[in-house]
Amino acid sequence: MGPTVLYTASVFGAVAVYLLLRPGPVPIKVVGTLLGLGAGAWILKESAVVLSADEAGGAGTFFVLFSLIAIASAVRMITHHRPLYSALYFVMVVLSSAGLFLLLEAEFMAFALVIVYAGAILVTYLFVLMLAQQTPETDDQSGQPEYDRVPREPAAAVVVGFVLFALLGDMFFSPEGIADLPAPPSEQQARVAAWQQLDALPDRLASAVRREIGRSTDIEIVADRFGSAVRIEEGDAYVLVRTAESTEPQTVWLPDDAMPQNIEQVGLALIAKFPVSLELAGVILLMAMFGAVVLAQRQIELSEQEKRAAAAGDGHRRGGGISDAPPAAGTGGGGR
Amino acid sequence: MASADIFSVLAGNLTLALQDSAPIPIAETAVGMGWAGWILWLPAISTVMCGLCAALRVKNKLPAWITVGLLGTSFLMTLALWLRYDHPVVIHLLDWIVLGGDRWTFIANFSLYVDSLTLLWMLFVTGLGTLIALYASEYMEADVRGGYARFFAGISVFLFAMTALVMADNLLMLYLGWEGVGFASYWLIGYYYRKPSAVAAAKKAFIVNRIGDLGLALAIYLIWHTFGTVEYRALFEALDSGSYTAEAGGWSIKAIPYLLMLGAFGKSAQIPLYVWLPDAMEGPTPVSALIHAATMVTAGVFLVARMYPVFLLEPASLTVVAWIGGLTALLAATIAMAQHDIKRIFAYSTISQLGYMFMGLGMLSSVGAAYHVFTHAFFKAVLFLTAGVVMHGFAGQVDLRKVSGLRHLPGFRITSFTMLYACACLAGVPLITNGFWSKDAIMAQAFISTGPGFRALGVIAIITAFLTAYYAFRVWFRVCAGPVHFEPGEEQHDDNHAAQHGEFRPHAPRLAVNLVLIVITIGAVGSIFLKGWAGERIEDSTAAYLSPHAQGVGFWGDPHAWMPWVASAVGLLGIAVAGYFHLVNRKAADGLKNAMLANPATRWLPTAMENKWYVDELYHLMFRGPLWLGGHILNLFDRYIIDMAIVDGVARIPRLLGRGFQPLSNGILQSYAVSMAGGVALLAILVFLMPQLVDWLSHWMGGAG
Amino acid sequence: MILASIEPINGLTLSHYMLTSALLLVIGLIGFLTRRNMIVMFLCTELMLLAAAIAMIAFGRYHLDVSGQVFVIFILTIAAAEAALALALVVLLYRHKATLSAEAWSELREP
Repeated sequence: MGPTVLYTASVFGAVAVYLLLRPGPVPIKVVGTLLGLGAGAWILKESAVVLSADEAGGAGTFFVLFSLIAIASAVRMITHHRPLYSALYFVMVVLSSAGLFLLLEAEFMAFALVIVYAGAILVTYLFVLMLAQQTPETDDQSGQPEYDRVPREPAAAVVVGFVLFALLGDMFFSPEGIADLPAPPSEQQARVAAWQQLDALPDRLASAVRREIGRSTDIEIVADRFGSAVRIEEGDAYVLVRTAESTEPQTVWLPDDAMPQNIEQVGLALIAKFPVSLELAGVILLMAMFGAVVLAQRQIELSEQEKRAAAAGDGHRRGGGISDAPPAAGTGGGGR
Repeated sequence: MASADIFSVLAGNLTLALQDSAPIPIAETAVGMGWAGWILWLPAISTVMCGLCAALRVKNKLPAWITVGLLGTSFLMTLALWLRYDHPVVIHLLDWIVLGGDRWTFIANFSLYVDSLTLLWMLFVTGLGTLIALYASEYMEADVRGGYARFFAGISVFLFAMTALVMADNLLMLYLGWEGVGFASYWLIGYYYRKPSAVAAAKKAFIVNRIGDLGLALAIYLIWHTFGTVEYRALFEALDSGSYTAEAGGWSIKAIPYLLMLGAFGKSAQIPLYVWLPDAMEGPTPVSALIHAATMVTAGVFLVARMYPVFLLEPASLTVVAWIGGLTALLAATIAMAQHDIKRIFAYSTISQLGYMFMGLGMLSSVGAAYHVFTHAFFKAVLFLTAGVVMHGFAGQVDLRKVSGLRHLPGFRITSFTMLYACACLAGVPLITNGFWSKDAIMAQAFISTGPGFRALGVIAIITAFLTAYYAFRVWFRVCAGPVHFEPGEEQHDDNHAAQHGEFRPHAPRLAVNLVLIVITIGAVGSIFLKGWAGERIEDSTAAYLSPHAQGVGFWGDPHAWMPWVASAVGLLGIAVAGYFHLVNRKAADGLKNAMLANPATRWLPTAMENKWYVDELYHLMFRGPLWLGGHILNLFDRYIIDMAIVDGVARIPRLLGRGFQPLSNGILQSYAVSMAGGVALLAILVFLMPQLVDWLSHWMGGAG
Repeated sequence: MILASIEPINGLTLSHYMLTSALLLVIGLIGFLTRRNMIVMFLCTELMLLAAAIAMIAFGRYHLDVSGQVFVIFILTIAAAEAALALALVVLLYRHKATLSAEAWSELREP
């Protein structure tokens, strides 16, 4: 896909988003939608996504599906004039992103995303929205506040945004852009790295070995002189096991499903590689909770009139005025 | 010749020795005379105490008594010093400035140089200072609740500065006193600081004096540069050694006397710097009497007398001194004839008499000049003090046409007769007045000394003597003689309550004023017999220069013989003319004036005289005009070029820049966000295009290179 | 099949995911710049964070490294903290002026 295609598609996309953003009649919105879809389709065609169910479990199809849902929902989210619907469209974006995560073999993160984002954060948003805004009965636009109906300077924003997009896209697709990316590891290297992690999970290793040799009684896995039990040979792994029956260690080849799963890998990395960051994240969350409590607690803010009224009431009770309120209002009881 | 003998007897032993240049007496260092320093310190203490009185809000006459007491003590100590005096001494008080090393030195200590010239000056300075302070204690009593302490602090600081000036043993201390008296003069002229004319007069006096002070400062620098010292003793030793002459010394020795002259003319109100003195009469009358008549204005004469050996190195400078003195005397006398303000008349007479003194100095009659200073101090003090009595008594009335017949009024008898005697002194009435003797010595010398046009100067001096007699008695006949008639002035003293009720009662002087008037008048009478004594005072000092003696024979060959007759004649003639116009037939004076005004050929004369020969206007045109114009041009330059174009212009650049970027800071969140995102996009473009840019640049550079 | 085909990833390349991520980021940006409702603006920031999360996961998958996913956990942490504070602020501001418009707060001074 050459840069020309990307730039042209960016321009079309920009026009489409602009048409959808600015308040206008429905036909214009339709034109914008069609334009956006056309641009998306063109990019898909040019980027040579294989839309086959056979290939790699239909990953291409799912990718196109989730991407399109995510992008369309995002566009709808920023163009919808009712904040509540925006929030709900954002849920759609989160769900389709979770799908993309699954395609990227990040199962744990996909579920975490749904639970944390869609489940917790978005619900908070909805609470606040409902607290702050009375939803009108009808779906009529005129019931909305002006600041929800009329966007601010859509043209400038769209231009800035799509210039940025064109640059980013150019970097991803041009040979110069990806030349600096280090080459990904080979499959064998990846497997070696995964097997090595198993050393940090002795229970999982032991249960996998037991399952393999079919024995639940005491076994002893022999470690080498570096303390590492898993021995790797060309991408496969075996362990030396000593059982009660024989003193001679016995070689047990580990099956592929004995490899650490995604959730285990993430947890291991979190604990082993980023312990301080984890602690800091906890502190940040705690502080955010305190901050939210302090900020949102009800602070009684009185207008001048209310202050005066309060002072007057106080004066009645105590027979004296309050200095910063006009004295006539306080002691006279009835004001001037 | 019998009367001539009387004259020569009264002239005393002036003609002691005959030699062309007397050796300059060299002072010795005195030991154990540190008490003389109290002459200097007592006025300073008085200043501090008066300042304390002002700070403590003392509302009685305490400051006056402090001042009179301390100044009187100072005078008594001066008397004691005089009685013990036998040769010039230097009394070291304390170190002040000691600089220098092997190659040069600059030493200026607080030391007293006491010779007879110093003593002569100190006697009348402290004596008159005390008496006038006593007079002022009554005169200023209306201000007891106001600036009383301030007034006496000013008098005290003046006395301190004047003492420092006269008794200094080096030129720098003299300069300190010189500036000090100028400051005190400014202080006291501007005493009524709510009166705009007084403030303007104070500023004028200060500024005009500054021109003269510049000359003095330059002269002091040149003296140090040429002779390597500013101490009198070392200076006179150097001069006495004869190694310095005008020819050998180059331009700097020639320039020194002229610069000194500039300083002296500024302080002593001579052409061209005399314009401040008449205006200085805005100050209280005791101040006019003490500072602007008797003492401070003679500082210039003192300076020339003290530095006489330096002037003798360049005799042409003395001729200039003589001519300027003579012309000033004549000019001031003509102006005084046409004024109506008593104090101003006396101010111009002061200028005129100072002109006589300079003429005497210039014509090598330093004895006559010093004697005239001495006598003048007495009678001029009396004149001003009596003018003050008139002002005080008639609510600030100073116009001689509005007050008449003073001597018939109760309580003004002493005033009238002391004023009569003082006027007679000023006019030079023969034999019985001191002014006659001192003036005579100067005028006679004009016909003896040889110099360019000295005979013409003598004639000018005689004409001036006639004019002086006329205007002096014009005042007396108008104010003290004639029918009783007066109009009060506009000034309302607190105790002049009667004026509000339509009936004005003159406010007669009381004990202190009358006492002071009598004492000073007695002093004036006594000074008649002091000519010889004053002459001795001078002979002993640095101003000693034995005047040339008459070479002719017979009565007409010796001007000292015939001058008393001529002087008497013109003096009495002037009095007679004044008596005719202002006592016998007052209408005739007005008639004569009107006749002159009616005649176009003579109209200019009275007009110009009344307007002081338009000198103020001339100065205005010559100096203030160009300065005013230049100031306005610079003002316009400042306002339009510097302020508007440069300062505001530079300031406008950031403002324009700010206005250009102002929309970015409109307070709306999204605008900032757009800027940020746009900036990120621009940076990304830059980073993305950088390799191509570098390629293109290196290609272009390579192609160019 | 866990660590199957790497380049391209299941028939797709890293660039495809990055393109999606970039597009979501840009849409979030445009939404932030154009919408005037404070809550929607914060939603748009969440969208941008989400786009960053997708990019993280894709890079991690490309390098066969789970650190990318760990970073997404931190992104989620920040998003949660931000949501809590931002919404508390919005509530506070809404109590003052009874509006959700960001422009109501364009003056930097005490009301």
